[in-house]
Order: sequence, then structure tokens, then C-alpha cells
Amino acid sequence: MLKFLKFTLTRAALSLITLLIISFIVFTLMEMVPGNCAERYLAFKNTAGQNITILDIAAEERRLGLDKPFLVRWGTWTGNVFFKGEFGESCILRLNINQILSDKFWISLGICFAALFFSYLVAIPVGIYSATTTNAISNNVIRFISYLGLALPNFLLALIIMLFSTIYFGESLTGLFSKEFRDAAWSLAKFQDFLSRAWLAIFVLGWSATAFAMQTVRALMLDETSKLYVTAASARGLYGRKLLWRYPARHSMGPVINSLGFDLNRIFNELPVVALILTLTEAGALLIEALARSNDQQLAGAIIFLLTASIVLMNFITDIMLALMDPRIRKGLIG
Amino acid sequence: MKLFFWKKKPSGDMQQLKEAYFTASQGQLIRTRFKKNRSAKIAAWVLTLMILSGYFSDFLSPYSPDMSGRDKQYENGPPQFPIFWDENGFSARPFLYTTERYRSIETNFRWVMTDNRDKRRYLELWVDDWEYSYIDISWNLPGDWFDVDIKALTSTKHLFGMNEGGIHLFGTDKTGKDIFSRTLHAIYTSLAVGTLGVLIAFVLALVIGGISGYFGGWIDSVLQMFTDAIRTVPPIPLFMAFAAFMPDTWSSEVRFFFIASVLGLIGWPTLARRIRTHLLTERSQEYVLAAELCGAKPGHVIRRHLLPSFTSYIIVDVMITFPYVVRSETALSFIGLGLTDPVNSLGSLMQNVSKADVLLNYQWYLIPVIFFIAFVLAFVFVGDGLRDAADPYSQTKK
Repeated sequence: MLKFLKFTLTRAALSLITLLIISFIVFTLMEMVPGNCAERYLAFKNTAGQNITILDIAAEERRLGLDKPFLVRWGTWTGNVFFKGEFGESCILRLNINQILSDKFWISLGICFAALFFSYLVAIPVGIYSATTTNAISNNVIRFISYLGLALPNFLLALIIMLFSTIYFGESLTGLFSKEFRDAAWSLAKFQDFLSRAWLAIFVLGWSATAFAMQTVRALMLDETSKLYVTAASARGLYGRKLLWRYPARHSMGPVINSLGFDLNRIFNELPVVALILTLTEAGALLIEALARSNDQQLAGAIIFLLTASIVLMNFITDIMLALMDPRIRKGLIG
Repeated sequence: MKLFFWKKKPSGDMQQLKEAYFTASQGQLIRTRFKKNRSAKIAAWVLTLMILSGYFSDFLSPYSPDMSGRDKQYENGPPQFPIFWDENGFSARPFLYTTERYRSIETNFRWVMTDNRDKRRYLELWVDDWEYSYIDISWNLPGDWFDVDIKALTSTKHLFGMNEGGIHLFGTDKTGKDIFSRTLHAIYTSLAVGTLGVLIAFVLALVIGGISGYFGGWIDSVLQMFTDAIRTVPPIPLFMAFAAFMPDTWSSEVRFFFIASVLGLIGWPTLARRIRTHLLTERSQEYVLAAELCGAKPGHVIRRHLLPSFTSYIIVDVMITFPYVVRSETALSFIGLGLTDPVNSLGSLMQNVSKADVLLNYQWYLIPVIFFIAFVLAFVFVGDGLRDAADPYSQTKK
């Protein structure tokens, strides 16, 4: 048990270091943008009719702590994020970032995890089927779809679906909420409305992750089914589904779980562009808004950091899960 | 006697074949294995065709892809296909009808186009139009030093055109620019951005992965931690954050180079990891030890002994990375953070297609999407085919 604790702690420490590196990258990106918050604030005042001098800017910089060296500012930012969960203020919108994000980030996370869940729900059985079937047609169809997963990016898929739905149904299927629920508080009715509209976003986001996961499962199963222990098991009289699920499928689950983090990465990757096309109102859309239109680096940095942090967390959880699931590792750790 | 010969001859052939197999170079083996893979071979042809049509896009496209080539009389026009016959008779030369457009209060002041079926316009081959150069390097980068202006092989010939009026195989966009010409040029741009991006990523990956894999130990651990951290960040949001730096004042060339370098700067970790893994396994081989015992320096061992041992793998890895880079560029340009309008890239062509107006009325805007899909698919198939061909165990596995 002590060993397991030690293992968990090392993994946690490694994840924390990764997070630190990422926070450094994100913070550097935020800082590299020309112009700082002090200038932005005062530029706003300027438009409001006040006269601004260089001295004013310097005073504002001192007030915001922008005159301190880069590393100190990075330290404060990271400290606030790690210990208080505070991302500070967006100086374009002059609002607290946590406030802007809270709801929207959870919606995004929910959609992405739903997409991940469904992609594995489809990929595992289909991958196993395509690895074991001898039917050439279904095999080729599955192979072609998994290639399309790469060649047809999610945003193009969304476009094509929209094209067909506008031509044939006269509705573009965009947005996450109907008009009447857009600003309403969460309730059962709003949740139902959300579900009735979110399926397209979930499907589109999960699309290429599904294709990739399918390929992974198929390759792993092909590798495993030709191994001797499977032959041995079938020699003992196991056959069919029982044989598959007991031996090769269980064995290939390890790498599949390992790839969960990367698939989440893949889904997050597509989130902003898909959000733009389907006019979703969540964190991905906010990210585009922050980067492409208002140049709001504080908000963008916070979103990128949060997305990456959830991937790091996911990787941490899958590592622990893997250790618990794989008897070879579990034996060594727990005994 | 006859039977004897009949039996002997093939086995002699087999002997020769075996002889050829054992003495073949790595490249020859890969080529023969690649040729056996039918889908990869077809994809390779498609890819070659697309690359060529990208390179000769000026010659192949009847109109200039920028504003100078726009057709003021045919804005938002549907695709036109030359035909050989209609109810008025047959013509050996393919023709189009003359389109006339008018607007009035009846049409709600929208332009309405009609075909005048009596006025035929004929297709011509090898026509003179705007001037272009096959070798045309004119960069206007910041700083006078980097300004390059080379023009050679200038020509005004184009493959086809009309004797009067215009021909638009894929229709036109809202300013009247020919989508066919734009698509061909976009393929070229996307290829160029991708190549430059992959090149930068490759050099970075080679240096970082090489150092990490060769030295191992704590250098490897630190570098791997760094690489893994970058790999966890979803690339497109990161691209977007970089691309947001671009001031609007930058010229299109600068934007092009910036996007390519950003793609390279973020794309290296996966490649670096593979190179590191290759190096780590090769590094413990005896020939490396022998070279080291002879007093070879690390740089020499990496360059002369280790890199050649997996050149084929590296080529395959680069081929596999390429579609991802093109895809990222397309996504970036699509949301308006990458290459923008005067430059034609596959992403910037698709910028306007998500509007309901376009989806309902001008579906031909989506034609470049097909090219994009074919382009990426071709790359993926060729990459996969090459990977299978370069893997000496791929045959025994099956």
C-alpha cells in the first residue's frame, strides 16, 4: 500500500511539474502580446473622454504590479491559479475571468467528455469487430471511415451536416440553447432543451476521436489475437465472444485507457473551430472571441490553461487506473 | 528430359529472384513493397497530380486568383461546364452560352442571370492572358536584407480560356473571382505552408530528439518532460494564441512565414519523440559502440551512423506529420487567424462557407473542401503505404 501511495505521489508531482511548465508557456504567451493591461485600461478611459499621460500609465502599471520582473509576475499568476483558483481580471472586458468562464467552461467540459465517452462507446465494439471479422466489405468500410476521420476534420463534417440540414430541413441545427432558455437559470426544462441540441456538437466533436480510437483498438486486437496465449485459451476449449472478452480484449484495454488523454486532447483541439461553426456559446467560442476579435490574452490564457489542466488531470487518473487494472503493475505496487 | 527443363527453369528464376532480393538496397526493397500496395499507389498518383497542378496552377488556371482576375459580370456565378451539343446542333469545339444579367424591381433589385442559348461562346486552348513566372520569388520581409525578387521563365500562356467572356468551371465567389483558379493556387499555398512548417518542425525535432535520445540520462528526462508538457496542450488553441500576435499591418508574405514557423514550432514534439525512441534503441547496438571505441565524436556518430540507420523511418514520420500540419493551417485560416483573403489557401477559401446564405444559395463555394479531403486522404494513404513498405517485418506479420 505504501508503494502505491508513493507511486500516486510521484505521478501527482510529475503532473504538477507539467502544469507548471504549461503555466509558464501560457503566461509567456499572454505577456508577448503588444500592449499591457495598464495601457488597455487607460485606453478605455481615453475613449471615455479623459486625457492620459505617460505618468498615468506608469502609475497604473504600478497599481497592477506590472512594473515587477517577469518571473515574479509569473509566480503571482501561477500562485493565484494554483492556490486560489483565481485567474484574475480580463482587462478588455474588465470582468473577473472566473465569473465569465464558470458556467461556460463546465458546459464545454461536459460536451467534450460526452464526446469522449461516445467515441469509445462506438470505437471499442467496432474496433474489436473489425479486427476479428473476415468480412472484407465491412472491414474496408471501417477502414475507410477511420481514414476519413483524419481527412475530414470535424469542422468540415459540421459544415457538411449543416449544408444538408439547411437544404433538406431548412434549419441549420446550430446553437446550444433555444431562444427562450438562453439566459434562463438551469432547470430540468433547460437541461432537456440543451440535450436536444447538444447531440450534434457531441457527435461532431467525437468524430475524429472515434476514428482514431477505432484504429487503435483494431491494431491492438490484431496484435493480441495472434499471440500464443490466445491459441492456448482456444485449445482449452474457449471460443467466440467469451474468448475475445476474456483474453485479447482485456489485454488491449491497457493501451486504450492510456490513449484517453490524447483523445481528450484531440477533442479539445477541435472545440474552438467547431464552436465557431455551430455557434456554440461556451468556452471554445469564448476562446476564439478572445483571440481573434478582442485580443483578450488573459481570458484566452485562462481557457487554454484550464483545457490543458483537464488533460493533465485525465492523464493522471488514467495512470492510476492503469496501475490498478493491470495485475502486473498492481502486484508490484500493492502486493 | 522436357520435364526436367520445365522444372529447372523456374527454380533458376527463383534463385535469381532470391539473389536480387538479398542484394537489393533498402530503397529498392521499399519501392517494390510500396508498389504492391494498390491503394497507396493510387494515392501516390493522385498526390503527384495535385502537386503538379499546384505548381503549374498559373498555367492551368484561366484567370488570376486575385482581384485583377475577377469577372465583374459573373459574381456569385454557378459552375459552367462546356458542352458539345444542344438542341441547336453539334459543335466540335465545346461551347458555353452567353450569360446576361439584369436587375429590376421585379427581381427585388437582385442580379438575375439568364443564359442566352443562341449566343455561343467557344473554348480555346493555349490562350494568352495575364503574365506569370514559373520561378517567382518575391519576398517582402521586414528588413531590406531579406527582400528577394527573382523572376524567371515568364510566360503568358494558359491552358484554356474562352474566345470571349469567361469560363468558370467551379463558379465564382462574391467578388467574381474564379474558384477553379483559386483552388489550384490554394493547393500550392497549402503545400508550401505545410512543407515549410514540417521542415521547421523536423529540424527542431531532429535536434531535440537527437540530443535527448543520444545522451539519455537526466538530459533525456528534462527534455522529455518539456516535450510531454507541450504535447499535452491542444495544438489548435495554441496555434490560435500565437497567430493572434499577427498585427494587421503585416504583408501576406510575412503572415505566410509566420504561420509556417508557428506550425513548425508547435508541431515538433511528436516527431521528436519518435526520433528519440529510434535513437534510444539504435544507440545500444554494437556498431555504435565500435564507432565510439574508434574515437568518434557524438556529432559524428549521430550524423554518420545513427541517422542513416533510420532515414526511411524519418521520411515516413515526416509524411505522416504532413497532413496534420496542413489540417492545422486550414483550421487556422478557416477561423480567420491564419492566411487571409488575398492569399489563397484551402482554409482561407472556406472562410465564408459556414454562412447560411452560402449554404442555401452558393453551394459551389464548398468545392475546395473536396480537394482538401482528397489531398489529405492521398497523403495519409501514401504515408501509411510508405510506413508499411519501410517496415521490414510488415510481410511476416500478416
